[in-house]
Amino acid sequence: MKLDTGRRRALQALAAGACLVIVRPATAESEELAPVLRELFGDRRIEQGKVTLDLPRLAESGNVVPVTVSVDSPMTPQDYVKRIHLFAGENPQPRIFDVELGPHNGVAKLSSRVRISTSQRVMAVAVLNDDTLWSAEVDVEVTVTGCGT
Amino acid sequence: MTTTFKESRRDFLVKSAAVTGGLMLGIRMPGLAQAASDAPEVTHWVVIQPDDTVVIRIARSELGQGSFTGLSQLVAEELECDWSKVRPEYADVNEHVRRDRIWRDMSTGGSRSIRDSQEYLRKAGASAREMLVAAAAQQWGVPASQCTVANSVITHSASGRSTTFGKVASAASKLDVPENPKVKDSRDWKLIGTSPARFDVPDKTTGRQIYAADVRLPGTVFASIVQCPVFGGKLKSYDQAKVSGMRGVKRVVAGEDWVAVVADNWWRANKAVRELPVQWDEAGNGDVSSESIMEFLRTGIDADDVPVARKDGDVEKAFAGAAKVIEAEYHSGYLNHATMEPQCATALFRGDKLEVWVGTQSGEATIAAASEEAGVPLENVIVHKMHAGGGFGRRGPHQEYTKQAVTIAKQMPGTPVCLQWSREEDMRHGRFRPVSLVKLRGALDRDGNWTAWHARQADQSIIITVRPTMIEGGVDPINTRSFRDNPYKVANFTNEYAMRNPHVPPGFWRAVAHTNNPFYRECFIDELAHAAGKDPYQFRRPLLQGTKDLAVLDAVAKAVNWGSRPSRGVHRGIAVVDSYGSYTAAAVELSVDDDSVIDVKRVVVAIDCGHVTHADAVKGQIESGIIWGLSAIMHEDITIKDGRVEQGNFTDYPVLKLAETPAMETIVMPSGGFWGGVGEPPIGAVIPAIGNAIFSATGKRVRSMPLKHHGFSYKA
Amino acid sequence: MSRMGRARVRVPETASRGEVIEIRTMVEHPMDSGFLHNNMGQPIPRHIVETFTCTYNGSEIFRARLHPAVSTNPYFLFHTVATETGELVFTWKDDQGGVATASARIEVS
Repeated sequence: MKLDTGRRRALQALAAGACLVIVRPATAESEELAPVLRELFGDRRIEQGKVTLDLPRLAESGNVVPVTVSVDSPMTPQDYVKRIHLFAGENPQPRIFDVELGPHNGVAKLSSRVRISTSQRVMAVAVLNDDTLWSAEVDVEVTVTGCGT
Repeated sequence: MTTTFKESRRDFLVKSAAVTGGLMLGIRMPGLAQAASDAPEVTHWVVIQPDDTVVIRIARSELGQGSFTGLSQLVAEELECDWSKVRPEYADVNEHVRRDRIWRDMSTGGSRSIRDSQEYLRKAGASAREMLVAAAAQQWGVPASQCTVANSVITHSASGRSTTFGKVASAASKLDVPENPKVKDSRDWKLIGTSPARFDVPDKTTGRQIYAADVRLPGTVFASIVQCPVFGGKLKSYDQAKVSGMRGVKRVVAGEDWVAVVADNWWRANKAVRELPVQWDEAGNGDVSSESIMEFLRTGIDADDVPVARKDGDVEKAFAGAAKVIEAEYHSGYLNHATMEPQCATALFRGDKLEVWVGTQSGEATIAAASEEAGVPLENVIVHKMHAGGGFGRRGPHQEYTKQAVTIAKQMPGTPVCLQWSREEDMRHGRFRPVSLVKLRGALDRDGNWTAWHARQADQSIIITVRPTMIEGGVDPINTRSFRDNPYKVANFTNEYAMRNPHVPPGFWRAVAHTNNPFYRECFIDELAHAAGKDPYQFRRPLLQGTKDLAVLDAVAKAVNWGSRPSRGVHRGIAVVDSYGSYTAAAVELSVDDDSVIDVKRVVVAIDCGHVTHADAVKGQIESGIIWGLSAIMHEDITIKDGRVEQGNFTDYPVLKLAETPAMETIVMPSGGFWGGVGEPPIGAVIPAIGNAIFSATGKRVRSMPLKHHGFSYKA
Repeated sequence: MSRMGRARVRVPETASRGEVIEIRTMVEHPMDSGFLHNNMGQPIPRHIVETFTCTYNGSEIFRARLHPAVSTNPYFLFHTVATETGELVFTWKDDQGGVATASARIEVS
């Protein structure tokens, strides 16, 4: 599908109160989660546990969803979390953020605000210093996407 | 299972009834079963009280369409309970969240309540029945298979023993829920397909029904609001000194794009908010008009490259070789849901808890919106779902009135705040059925056969505002319905879609794209038929072979004796559309006096919805769909000037009146094997049938709505 | 052209040695995901903050790789052990060469 980049049309649109945007093709197609996990973790097993993923069960629009990820870890030089990844498998791109931590953080706990594009399972994966993988999952229902269609 | 909030809610209301002594006495909140929280659950869908009352939990919303009753029938059919003891009750939204969304989808829209719920509700009824029988059988020490059950009575004939649901419910509630219970074949249904008295109708008819704006808790204050009339604008300033001395005024509260006055009654609040000096920042949309919006849509029709929604065969080749090419442009404007109950919500903060009372189409959307707006965790929010005074798609994804009530109530902790929009605010701040423009071309061969067509649409996307990831390649899958998924077997067809989104906020108006697209399509098909010199009904038939569309089309044609000469002055129109999983057709008989005064004498609608749950409710939905469609084509029109809606009340946004309602006939012909929706399907066929009948009567081809813009009026 | 805006951070002014402190951060940025469309159905190009780092007296204590699903005006709250008096420096970088920085001092005793 070719995009309409005609300047005349853009100006007409502007006159009608539209927003003028310099158009470039979107940079990414929709991606699946499984290949992303394989790329990051290879064949390593992702265990359930140690991780607490705190997300509201329902989100109205899913545009600003508060999230807190914490990992049960002493954060000592012998036993600490080195990375935390957050995934939303049904988003157009599954990766949300990847964080690097170390014993200097004291606790493996962080919060952010994220976009959940549709009702789905959100997953946090913690990578420990011994390269083991631990995870937690929460189902989030985005209420506005479910109505009316 | 009890929760502290259920007790506190009930206690609070009981106390307030004692205090106010008035409105709460004798008037039940919708389905608030008094002892429900103490009686055992036999599956989470069914609560059985010792006196055999069967409380059925309803997850969706009753909007007048009959879901409270229909959904109960689905459960009760399998449960084999005494129907006279059934009491539906809304599943508590807070409990739903705490119990991990145990009642599944609470949204009410897309004509989905029955068809999306039917399988798990019937299974729930069956599971509950099996648990009750198992409990009785265990008590008697007999095999469950030897027991029979009917009307809430379980019998073991061999030993002459029987018991009732109420007596074994407690034991039953402790048993495991059967995972895959057997449900009846449709031939064995005794309740599904019948018309039991509706649970919601008596109170609505006698005036006892409480709506969200009727909630009166001790100390309730009232708020009226004004929102920035130009969409996308913001509040700049307001002068509350001018109103704070007015009688009854308690405070003025502002949001990002609104201001509300709180007073001791709504009229005083409304008077004050209308007198409040307010300055708005119109944010650049102050010169948008219906005309400029149409010009904007036209850039989509005129664009060089437009996203393709569907492409069959080779339309250009077919057009090049055609004997006749017909071209036409159709369009329609914005429409308001105009629910009889204006948007409103009551909210109350007590400590760290928030309660809201609202007629919502989605309990989950309400609790999420309230929680986020208040900054209160979901677990601390209680939503009291009220029966809505009309939903039609207005009250689901859009929860702005809930959020506004919450914002105001947060400033007045301990005080219940009842926010009600004035009719003017409701008319000007709808979530409107969007504008659309379509250019249609059709090709006929020498024998008048329809060989190709091309539909290029330019319209405003609704889904992009709530679920933008559904847009692929620029194509809106909802707005292309009736074109992209049309049933006609025409070899060459191209459907293109140019999205053009003006600043007016769009929403899902009952039947959504099936209110305008079928009008365009079915009227254009009539244009092709007339150009081919063929009867419009006969013209369609060969192209619908093997479809369920054909069966409903034939049914309405037969009902009006299509092909026979009608009475003097009477003209007929016909149309067919499939939508929301069902198939509907409409045939209309009308006359047009003095070339302009329309008298719709008769509307016949046939529907194949697969299965029918509440027969009368289906008929009611068809009739209300006819009225909805007639109102749209006859009267309704939201116009934009200076960036804002021009209309404000039913004086300038008339809707169909009782006196204008024609004789209506419904043909319900469920063919089985599938479950289709009923709430929206009837509408799409009615609108074009009118347009087609008008052409037959006057030779005038109407290509936009409403008809009053074409010089037509309605016979009083 | 980058639309990176201003950054705000909140770090305790004082802490005891060994105490785990909470750090709040935010930067103004539209975080255009690339998956949304303008009002003519055309995709709005991606423009996001890609990395966010924090150093404490020159040592990196936090690094985040952001993807389009981080909300507008990216917010991160994280923790660190207060080890010594000094400066925390925060840096955000986006995909158009935009950079924002912020810093805060902490007294550790």
